[in-house]
Amino acid sequence: MSEVSVNGIVKRFGTTRALDEVSFDAGAGITGLLGPNGAGKTTLLRVLATVMSPSSGEVRIFGRNPASPSDRLQIRRRLGYMPQEPGFHRNFTVFEFVDYVAILKEMTDRKARHVEVSRVLHTVGLRKVESRKIKALSGGMRRRVALAQALLGEPELLILDEPTAGLDPEQRLRFRETMSHLGEDRAIILSTHQTEDVAALCPRVIVMNHGTALFSGSPRELAEVARGSVWLSSERAPEARLSYRTGEGRYRNIGPAPGDADLIDPTVEDGYLMLLGDEAFVEAA
Amino acid sequence: MTWHAPIHALRDYESGAIDPTQQLSIEAHLTSCVSCRSNLAALVDKGVLERTWNAIAAETATPAPGMIERLLLVLGIADHSARLVAATPSLRRSWLLAVTTVLALGVLVANEADGGYVFFLALAPMLPLAGIAAAYGPGIDPTYEIGIAAPMRSFRLLLIRAMAVLISTVALAGIAALFLPGLDWEAAAWLLPSLALAATCLALSTVVPPLRAAVIVAGTWMTVITAAAWSASTEVSARSVFGAQLQIAVVIVGIGAGLVLTARREELETGEHQ
Repeated sequence: MSEVSVNGIVKRFGTTRALDEVSFDAGAGITGLLGPNGAGKTTLLRVLATVMSPSSGEVRIFGRNPASPSDRLQIRRRLGYMPQEPGFHRNFTVFEFVDYVAILKEMTDRKARHVEVSRVLHTVGLRKVESRKIKALSGGMRRRVALAQALLGEPELLILDEPTAGLDPEQRLRFRETMSHLGEDRAIILSTHQTEDVAALCPRVIVMNHGTALFSGSPRELAEVARGSVWLSSERAPEARLSYRTGEGRYRNIGPAPGDADLIDPTVEDGYLMLLGDEAFVEAA
Repeated sequence: MTWHAPIHALRDYESGAIDPTQQLSIEAHLTSCVSCRSNLAALVDKGVLERTWNAIAAETATPAPGMIERLLLVLGIADHSARLVAATPSLRRSWLLAVTTVLALGVLVANEADGGYVFFLALAPMLPLAGIAAAYGPGIDPTYEIGIAAPMRSFRLLLIRAMAVLISTVALAGIAALFLPGLDWEAAAWLLPSLALAATCLALSTVVPPLRAAVIVAGTWMTVITAAAWSASTEVSARSVFGAQLQIAVVIVGIGAGLVLTARREELETGEHQ
């Protein structure tokens, strides 16, 4: 049985359908949600985190129904959630803040709770700044504090909304290392704008746009969507939907390739752009 | 020739199955021998080391609690409840100072202006209301969304914070009431309305966010008091506006609000209506 099972869920806000008949299953390992702003990723993650209910359709987490109060409590005891814009009590120190969330996670024994707080701060590499006030931290460090609180209690399901936003390249690599360890024995669902994160971390990716799931498969399969549509040329190709000069001085073109094109292997990013169609090419250009 | 501790001796040392003399000898050697320290490190269970360091760090890194938290601990409140209360935005020093200032102004008006006494009695119940509005909810509590997804019941968190706000504000209003002109039962005529308004705000918070609930309740309260003052057959006074009729009415409203809150408490457990 998959940790997460979503079947035809719809979420309406007034007349807007933020989620429109989304279905998928996610088990152990990392599942990446990829999509542009407003695609419905955050709404989907909030539904999975039991923060909101779908307008229709069925959600099961660990086989339980989050609409039932007793099931919801059981789900929350096994869940770690990092929202897209986590708020902080800015006057708390890093340790105090994570300790506060540990209390919300029903860890009432002071000693055991403090050991757990130290453990998660160690996992995200924040032990050295644990006595520092949160308001004095950089944006990247705050994201790590948000990740630390999600790891409290070793949850079996981690839901992370844009966890790599605002991280510098080194922090992003460290994040990938942490995630790859954590993903070995639990389900992680994360959303991102970064196709590199998906390619590096996720055995499974779901591409969303306008509230629907356009694609579900492996990063390799996503890249294959652009097979035969990526080529190099010495001049900018006018027929390409997107064309840019690479560091080596040649043009990398994406779009319907001419017959004599020097085709190359597509990347996850190419597949993603092809999948989203004209809208994505306009954005990228 | 350099002596090194044999592996079996290091293993015995690591497990604690070694006599005190040998233990001292190995410890003295380890302080000066990198090679044996390295051999010993390889024998030590990494999990034990990590757990030990985490426990040490947890003890040494625990910061001293803030003023409000310390006060609650002295009063015998459990440390986890004290931390929940300390995170209440409307229990910050600046908030308490603002409440004190408003109450001081209310006392001044009550002593100096015609109808000032009624003004104080109408004002005092709105302060806990404002405190509750600023204690919990989206846009108010920065950890609201994390809290909703956590197993601790939001109903419990809201009640803990509302109680803390209510107690602190009522205590301040009680002190302020001591400075009202003429100390009799009228000086406490704000107390039951305070409790009823707080309960009504909590009940309404199961339908709309606490901030909006507080605005609705405060608006209704002011309308009721203004109407009562207008319809007073005699001179507008504490007795004519805040008399037995109003006190009985607010008790009924408060009990009703408590029942609604209990019946609808599950609505607070998702961020849906918030």
